[in-house]
Amino acid sequence: MATGFSIAGLGVTRQGRNLQVPARQLRREALELALDDAGLVRKDIDGYIGTSSEMFEDVRHLGLSPGFIWSMNAGGATATWSVLNAIGAIRNGQADIVACVYGATPSSKNAPLANGRKGGYGAFGYGYPMMYGMVGAAAAHALHARRHMYRYGTTTEHLGAVAVQQRAYAALRPGTLGYGQPITMEDHHASPMIVDPFRRLDCCRDTDGGVVLLVTSDERAADLQSKSVSVLGIGTGDNLRNWWTGEVYDLHDDIAPAKALAFGQAGISVEDVDVACLYDPFTISPIMQLEAYGFCGPGEGGPFIAAGETSIDGKIPTNTGGGQLSGYYATGFTAMVEGLLQMRGEGGATQVPDAEVALVSGHGGNAGVQNTWSHATLLLGADR
Amino acid sequence: MTQLLPPNIGADALDDPFWDGCRRHQFLLHVCGVCQRAYWPSSTCIDHGWANMSWQPSSGRGVIHTYTVFHHSYLPWTADKVPYIIAVVKLEEGPFFHSDILECAIEDIAVDMPVEVVYLDAEEGWVIPHFRPTRPS
Repeated sequence: MATGFSIAGLGVTRQGRNLQVPARQLRREALELALDDAGLVRKDIDGYIGTSSEMFEDVRHLGLSPGFIWSMNAGGATATWSVLNAIGAIRNGQADIVACVYGATPSSKNAPLANGRKGGYGAFGYGYPMMYGMVGAAAAHALHARRHMYRYGTTTEHLGAVAVQQRAYAALRPGTLGYGQPITMEDHHASPMIVDPFRRLDCCRDTDGGVVLLVTSDERAADLQSKSVSVLGIGTGDNLRNWWTGEVYDLHDDIAPAKALAFGQAGISVEDVDVACLYDPFTISPIMQLEAYGFCGPGEGGPFIAAGETSIDGKIPTNTGGGQLSGYYATGFTAMVEGLLQMRGEGGATQVPDAEVALVSGHGGNAGVQNTWSHATLLLGADR
Repeated sequence: MTQLLPPNIGADALDDPFWDGCRRHQFLLHVCGVCQRAYWPSSTCIDHGWANMSWQPSSGRGVIHTYTVFHHSYLPWTADKVPYIIAVVKLEEGPFFHSDILECAIEDIAVDMPVEVVYLDAEEGWVIPHFRPTRPS
């Protein structure tokens, strides 16, 4: 089983710190790469799903003439939401080829805050908790990490194991922040504490870059020149459900219903996944998601990663491009791109041999007192 | 010393009763009259809707559910504060409440620590609830 839809075009620009180019230029470059990948032209794009408030300007700038222009605003869940909405539009006859467009320059903005410090990742409002100095995604995720440490005995060494493993992948992946720069556990422990228990190397960094996905039906994809990748299943969840039950800090995401939906559509189980591409703004995130998906038991995520089970030879190679922590931060598109590369057999030195199923997760759109995020699960299948 | 306030705090018709309660040193929760479930801030009961919601006094006590320690200041009003603790307090009546934890050394903070509310005056007539380790009564 599968959804009947594919990602038949992929465009990824350079991704890096402070590229000093307008975001819409990155979107245009990514679009052109995706069109070249699929062998399509601008007029073939009849649906546009963006992630930016600049998108109306974009579409003129990009030279497109789609039948609809939508914006998705679910932070790191947006990549999968975009694909989900593209599928809905195509299924309903509104479009044949939908472009899902990301391009942002958060590491170039870096505008000073009122106190003269540089703003950056996560420097956005948190409602009432901000009165007390609660600000930033790192602190919000630190609340999950501390809870996990309390419940299961997860340690800073476990967090460090995530950072070291993902950097080992990035060190082998050209174009990532960590390329050629492996780190050790000592490096992790020596990096400064930011928001306890997160040290600097437990946190990802903003980067600039663009990504475009072209979504179409399997039938149309079969006629295109690109290595198309099947969308096997999609599921969504929102941690607000777990806010009501008091479990919001015990659960990184509302993964259970999303997992059931996505794997149900795909007709497969977790054992069938060959590579995991998990949303990883902070080191606690892969730990809690591996548990929630069932790659290991509750509370076992830290020891599982420390034992090497997420390495290329482990039970579930995870974030094989370095993830957001050591690769680049294209919000939810980092994990999506890695899933697509692995399914296309384009993972280079960290390609998982014969990988046929990739799990992609997304997570984003924080909010105030409830500290909750949207979640998205997406399963990709290699067309071989 | 009055506490500085972030720019996004202001009069809000739905939450004003809570802040008025703080000015009287009363910690109010938004309670459903049907099931007695307590919420914070202003909420709509997930089972019974809006019609029976009212602001009711609470104990102002709870336990640390989880926490983090900020080692850097990112905001003007925390410049003199680092390192500081931000905790999620699980109130006795059920809701979660973010607060800094006063009168507590960084090395002493722990999940499950009992805490109680204390009120501090802030700018423009606001009174802000904070939490501290529970003192023997």
